[in-house]
Amino acid sequence: MDRRTFVKATGVAGIAGLAGCSGGPSGGSTAEPTTESGGSDSSGEGGETTAAETTESNVAANVGMVYATGGLGDGSFNDQAQQGALQAEEELSISFNEAQPDEVAQFKTFQQQFAQSTDPNYDLICAIGFLQADALSQTSESYPDQNFMLVDSVVDAPNVASYTFKEHEGSYLAGLMASLLTTRDFSAGAGSTAGDSTSVGFVGGVESDLIKKFQAGFEAGVNAGSGDVDVLTNYVGGFNDVAGGKEAATAMYNSGADIVYHAAGNTGTGVFQAAQEQGKFAIGVDRDQSITKPSYADVILGSMVKRVDTAVYNAIESIVNDNFQGGSVVSLGLEQDGVALIEGDQLGSELPQDVTDEVASARESIIAGDISVPSTPQ
Amino acid sequence: MSVGDRARDVLARLANASATERILISTAALLLSILVGAVLVLVAGRMTACTPNEAVYYFGTGFCYDPILVFDRLFLGALGDPLSGGWSPDGQFSVTLRETTLLIFAGLSVALAFRAGIFNIGTQGQMVVGALATAVAVLWGATLVSGVLGTVVLVPFGILVGAVFGGLYGAIPGFLKAYADANEVITTIMLNFIATGVTLYLVSGVFKDPESAANQTVPLPEYAQFPTVLFGGRQDFSLVALFFGLLAIAGLYYLLEHTAFGYDVRTSGIQPEAAEYSGVDAPRTVVASLTLSGALGGVAGAMYVMMILGTFQTGVPSYGFDGITVSILAGNNPLGVGIAALLFGVLKSGTTVVQFATDVPPQLVGVLRGLIILFVAMPEFFRLVGKRITDTGSRAVATDGGRPEPAAGSSGTSGDDGGESDE
Repeated sequence: MDRRTFVKATGVAGIAGLAGCSGGPSGGSTAEPTTESGGSDSSGEGGETTAAETTESNVAANVGMVYATGGLGDGSFNDQAQQGALQAEEELSISFNEAQPDEVAQFKTFQQQFAQSTDPNYDLICAIGFLQADALSQTSESYPDQNFMLVDSVVDAPNVASYTFKEHEGSYLAGLMASLLTTRDFSAGAGSTAGDSTSVGFVGGVESDLIKKFQAGFEAGVNAGSGDVDVLTNYVGGFNDVAGGKEAATAMYNSGADIVYHAAGNTGTGVFQAAQEQGKFAIGVDRDQSITKPSYADVILGSMVKRVDTAVYNAIESIVNDNFQGGSVVSLGLEQDGVALIEGDQLGSELPQDVTDEVASARESIIAGDISVPSTPQ
Repeated sequence: MSVGDRARDVLARLANASATERILISTAALLLSILVGAVLVLVAGRMTACTPNEAVYYFGTGFCYDPILVFDRLFLGALGDPLSGGWSPDGQFSVTLRETTLLIFAGLSVALAFRAGIFNIGTQGQMVVGALATAVAVLWGATLVSGVLGTVVLVPFGILVGAVFGGLYGAIPGFLKAYADANEVITTIMLNFIATGVTLYLVSGVFKDPESAANQTVPLPEYAQFPTVLFGGRQDFSLVALFFGLLAIAGLYYLLEHTAFGYDVRTSGIQPEAAEYSGVDAPRTVVASLTLSGALGGVAGAMYVMMILGTFQTGVPSYGFDGITVSILAGNNPLGVGIAALLFGVLKSGTTVVQFATDVPPQLVGVLRGLIILFVAMPEFFRLVGKRITDTGSRAVATDGGRPEPAAGSSGTSGDDGGESDE
């Protein structure tokens, strides 16, 4: 085959192939939202075509999202934040645009790009993640007329609404549940606990004040359940280290722990793998992981969810309703449903009634202020 | 004519290309990469769904992503929209120069080691060490002096500290290679992990800023950071730093091409045995070049701390690894590093503009970036290969008993460095 035929054939095949692709602009005039954006699916590209579906004039507000490093598709933190924006898009008919920085220096760049933009003019810029705090304290000063919201940290500026979470409160409930279950003989799904065990485990991502809040709450909860149970703790050193998470959890299971709680992002996947191999249990974090990681649903007793979506949605709602509280610091705990312990999709129904009752009453006590949960490890 | 002969001919032709031809080849490669990238963008645009009013139409078919817009944003956006009128260097252009500055130092660091025949994969680690040392030392220094005097004293002091610590960290694999025959690729990679781990330990412990939730040092006061000159302050860019970068390029060029030490380095890179025979102290050259390479990496770290972040924080971006690509793209020539770093800077800063201005997923922009780099680097790579294949035997660079004439005579032509980088 000579070169000309080859080029011609490739060209024809290419154009035919292109035209045959199933995607592209949908035919009708109905502005249908992209349904194929399943979040963290394998295509990697599908989940990102969310911006500007309703760019017509009837938009209630324009919102800019600057995600934490790690980006969308992490199955927890950023996806959860996007969930809030998607919900607002649907219910409040706002439009949002998003940026995924991959290094710390880009936070400021993106924040400024949103703040500078005049087409559209952004009514609110959401900064997701505590690492953005430093950049935002400078950006908010440079653009005093722009509204910002920040998740997981506090910037003291009149145009920034800060949202933090009481992760220790939710973790307390996780610790309590683990402590109550590990001291009895309990089996469900693919896991079981031995009644004579006196330890549970905690796997953290990177050692930092934020993750220590999870640890502190968990330890306090475990102690409340039974004074005899102790907590094995390990920080793996990364939020995306599945092998490291598995190793750490396996070591814990081997030394007698029945239940391991993780606050380690994707590293936690390794914890679930270890639980499945050892026939023990794990507790998930950030989202309901028995649903986001369904293949491990038979070992996930529950998940300590952190409703970043609620924070994002509330902030957007306040912009739409014109009652945005710049300078406010909102701390979302159990009371505001900012954090919660959600029972596993598959195992939840098999939990003993007295355990769920005790967890529920502990939740009431924390809300009522009868139990105060420490936010730093003892 | 057999395929092998034809390939050899093409390589020979490439090897003998004149400077003009090489510029033309690079430009053609750049255009070709854009063309291929455009097709990819179109294809990707057919594989997602969007509403008709967001789509663009070419050849009667609708596409979700507009390749013209993507490349317009990638290049013109990174340069701050020079064509749209009202251009100001204060915007995205400053970000581009900021990235360029960092990449110059990282690229020079790798290039120097490459010229000595050493693969320094450890620039990243040297940069991290230099960055933390700078942050801690300048923070200490800031308590002693302040104001304008503070800037004048602390900025050079910070760079010096970064260079010293980066250099010391680079000297470790140097000694290991020179006196224990340890492969520097392995040691430098391992030392990267050690640097990251140790700095994390230090910065989450003794040096941690108690006010911050992040693992970082106490932020440097304004006067201890690079001063804003003319423009760029809002984007964390300082012309002073870029000036230092250009100075480093000129300095390294002079060092390599016009000094006895540079001659030692280059001959060790081309033919270590011959260099040694001609009187080069091989272990000393290895240690010295890795130390100097580490020092340049350390300066990159100092710049990152004193210009961009204003503090040391864990999770330093991978400038050190980008530096490897910059150096290869530049043919390990210090002057080329400047240009390659600018191209990289444009691509890096343009990526954020594309992400902001279009719906194109960042992963796809990464692919486009990779394509451009690959296309631009390949002709140069094959040229070096061609030199190697066609030139063997015709040039006995370092075997003539240590008389420096051949190198001195050919200094100043970048075409002289064939074969030094492609082992």
